Amino acid sequence: MNVMAMHVDGLFVYPVKGMSAQPLKQVSLTAGRAFPFDRTIALARPGGAYQPGMQHGISKREFFVLVAEARLAGLSTNLDPASGRHTVDVREHRVLDVDLSAEDGLAQLRTFYARVLDLPPGVEPLVAHDEGRRFTDTAHSSDRQMEFVSLINLATVRDLAGRVGREVDPLRFRGNIHLEGLAPWHEFSLIGREFTLGGVRMRGTKPTERCAATEVEPGTGQRDLPVPQLLAEHYGHEFMGIYAEVLSDGVVHDGAEIVLGELVG
Amino acid sequence: MAPRSCWENSLADVLRLVVAERDELTANVARFVLRDLAGGPLPGYGGGAHITVSTPAGPRRSYSLVDAGADRPEQYTICVRRDQNGRGGSTSMHDDVHTGDVLEVGGPENNFPLEQAERYVFIAGGIGITPIRAMVAELRARGGAHIDVVYLSRSARDTAFLDEFSADGALLHHSSVHGRLDLWPYVAEPDDDARVYCCGPTALIDEVLALTMHWRPSRIHVEDFAGVDALGGRRVPFTAVWEPTGARVEVRSDRSLLTALRAEGVDVSSSCESGTCGTCRLRLVSGEADHRDLVLTQEERGEYVMPCVSRALSGALVVAPVSPHTHRAAPVS
Repeated sequence: MNVMAMHVDGLFVYPVKGMSAQPLKQVSLTAGRAFPFDRTIALARPGGAYQPGMQHGISKREFFVLVAEARLAGLSTNLDPASGRHTVDVREHRVLDVDLSAEDGLAQLRTFYARVLDLPPGVEPLVAHDEGRRFTDTAHSSDRQMEFVSLINLATVRDLAGRVGREVDPLRFRGNIHLEGLAPWHEFSLIGREFTLGGVRMRGTKPTERCAATEVEPGTGQRDLPVPQLLAEHYGHEFMGIYAEVLSDGVVHDGAEIVLGELVG
Repeated sequence: MAPRSCWENSLADVLRLVVAERDELTANVARFVLRDLAGGPLPGYGGGAHITVSTPAGPRRSYSLVDAGADRPEQYTICVRRDQNGRGGSTSMHDDVHTGDVLEVGGPENNFPLEQAERYVFIAGGIGITPIRAMVAELRARGGAHIDVVYLSRSARDTAFLDEFSADGALLHHSSVHGRLDLWPYVAEPDDDARVYCCGPTALIDEVLALTMHWRPSRIHVEDFAGVDALGGRRVPFTAVWEPTGARVEVRSDRSLLTALRAEGVDVSSSCESGTCGTCRLRLVSGEADHRDLVLTQEERGEYVMPCVSRALSGALVVAPVSPHTHRAAPVS
């Protein structure tokens, strides 16, 4: 049997919460921090708990997120964090091209998403973008958890797909790092354990609990697979993938080798 | 006539109707005109409505009414396409139903109502023309709205009502002659004052949905006749009542009860929104629920419901917080 070395097979950043994955060839990591620009912008529900400048995380329900707004996955979005350019495509057609570093660009963004989200007249989403904050699902637990990186074991996704008899796109799970070469569900042995990705030290922290966002097919925006219910039926839980924290600075390349450390404790 | 809301369903009476006329519109599409046995008026309907016929072979099948709606119509006209690969309903209609036969028919219901707009884009694929024909006829009679019709079919001879739509200025596109039509030009510009209606095969529905992701979802109306959503459950609109305030909430077929309650300002907690965590549990005061969660036991299903995935089987659902003290008013978002 050919034993594949464990390695990174995909790196993704999601600059805008709920929107398209942006693949990376490499990522520069800092200890205690998630991927640069990951979920650093979000659309917040007006009249809700979000206030610009707030210094603690809040429930993902306060934002327009995939779990409630499957439609967002029907748009192909891209944000270049360096320039602030945000583009949105419907199939191969460009429907929005704005500069978020300019007030006019932000205004056009709000108008566009107010329509896509079908908000009442005069109501627009708030663009949440605060220095040092990211709008991850884990942010409301703590600032430390806000900075967790998410990992998906591609073999586990294949295991689910095989049991369900359907193709399952791993990008449904919106992870930052895809792992290859592990046996299905062995990513859970990384919890509480140090490992390195291409020399960058990390430690698994907790499993990732799944919600209805995973029912949404990336690209079509349609809820077409009841993933949490399938996880519950086949495995008795609703976890897929794990969170990890970054322990050292360094660059991780797509394809980087994974080396496991000793189990902690 | 004002658009008849789908919320004003007739009582879905069972009617015994006589086949007054039958003709073959194409090799595979038969038209049936049904009238009251005593010749009286029939229950009213609006464009987009359907009736449910008990076919002679047994299966009950729903067919869209193809004429403009009316309050007291003299007849119901339906068109049935023979489906070789179907489960026998259309075959029975074609082979077993003749002029003079009496059929048991469930009265009109409407899950695909015509809603107000200044401009309409109708996209019909094949037999999907049936509800659209009724809507276009109503709009033409009313006047005022700008209408574009795109009618897709395989070939001219497969196209029911070809001459009528051709004369009316519809774009008729035959895939066997011209391949697939690029629908983008018809939907490129999102327009809050316009509505897009699409009826036809699932692939066409998916195409139109994909091309209109930049539109307000409430302006896009699709009917694929299956009435089944991608998750495998029937999705028809229903009414819910929030018991603490008595507020009636209309739950569209493309929304969950949870989303609809929140849109009305009812604050219901949630987490997974997929029927696995139990967070959004509500008390089921009355009504028959279609339970689609994994949390409630059979016994609990008599008393509770998960609004994130479950819907009504029939009629309305009256729901309330699990504990009378947990309800708090929330700002409408």
